[in-house]
Amino acid sequence: MESCDNKTDEELVELSLKDSDHFFCLSKRYEEKLLKYIGRISKFSREDAEDVLQEVFIKTYYNLNGFDPELKFSSWIYRIAHNEAVSAIRKKAVRPTIHLEIGDLERFGDVFDMAGDIDNSLDRKMIDIALSHLDEKYREVLVLRFLDEKDYVEIADILKKPTSTIGNLISRGKKLFKEEYEKLIGVSV
Amino acid sequence: MENRNISQLALERIKEEGIKPISRNIFSIKRVLFWVLVAISFIIGALTFSLILSALFNNDWDLYNKFGFSFIFRTLPYFWLISLAVFTILGEYYYRKTYLGHRRGFILIMGVYLISTTVFGSLFYLIGTGRFIEQSLENEAPIYRHIMLNRYEVWSHPEAGFLSGKIIRVMGEEIEVIDSNGFIWIINMQDVYLRGRVEIETGERIKIIGRCLETICIADEIRPWIGMRKMMR
Repeated sequence: MESCDNKTDEELVELSLKDSDHFFCLSKRYEEKLLKYIGRISKFSREDAEDVLQEVFIKTYYNLNGFDPELKFSSWIYRIAHNEAVSAIRKKAVRPTIHLEIGDLERFGDVFDMAGDIDNSLDRKMIDIALSHLDEKYREVLVLRFLDEKDYVEIADILKKPTSTIGNLISRGKKLFKEEYEKLIGVSV
Repeated sequence: MENRNISQLALERIKEEGIKPISRNIFSIKRVLFWVLVAISFIIGALTFSLILSALFNNDWDLYNKFGFSFIFRTLPYFWLISLAVFTILGEYYYRKTYLGHRRGFILIMGVYLISTTVFGSLFYLIGTGRFIEQSLENEAPIYRHIMLNRYEVWSHPEAGFLSGKIIRVMGEEIEVIDSNGFIWIINMQDVYLRGRVEIETGERIKIIGRCLETICIADEIRPWIGMRKMMR
């Protein structure tokens, strides 16, 4: 099989439809990103998140003909991952929470002006709790916007919500997150 | 714990279980289907709007002074107003189900839908579609009369001089009319004013304003059952 590195997602989709081996390149390209994303929006262990991801790849391949290049492939596969993760969360009946890593904290710190103050495990825990306290609709947009660094249209495509709604949810979500975080640490950020 | 190679595992499962992508045709049909549903909702919405215009323009507004403000509530075309609301909501719902339909906001979709419905509905009304459909329903679907009962309820008060019914016999200056309750009335048309495009023929449904006593009415005015304007074809 020829190298996939210089191929676009759309080209790999077409090649995967002809030969399933090419699907490996496509799934490999998104494996780490989606694993992190599933981890962020669920309380699953890495092993459970990997099981969800495997289902995501199977569903992606099964529905590959349904992909239309009018949409970004990354938005399309994130949507499948989002739906699969939400479905798994419901099956396991766990309250979703965010699993943050050091890199995630830095990104959050930049957005919310918390830099220099968030490098210890306590702050990490506080951000985790503050996010967990938010309503799901705010949490999912904040994760996609500030941790997965998706733009408004991509988030709209992943969550199947109007772009204007995404803007409102992010704006309100940021405000609510700050309020929750301030309540937890007892100071203004 | 060593991380698993999920992509490799997924590919192996695809091969082992012989998983094949669903046919492209299925997705194409699904996409076309939603656009067809959007179009159907839109066309029915526009036709409904033309029926609302037809009902409003052909309402007996000259009776407003006799019945007062309640006349408006008694004669509004509720069925068509509810139908328009239902098909507008369905149109919005189906549009949102199209491939990129989710990107547009509720207000934007509803706004565009309502403006388009108004424009096309007005065109349908101008070419006479609204009146044609209303007359067809009147003639072909008896249930329609029950649905639209409120609009004609004002014409079921012979004691107040308002009567409606179907002509069953024409006898020179007198006609026999059967009302919605099955009572037969003899209508005297000696000094009657025939309003609008009314035809005094057996089988015609008419509205009568006059003075009624027992089974006889002295008609002052007779108007057609639906509307008074000529249908534009």
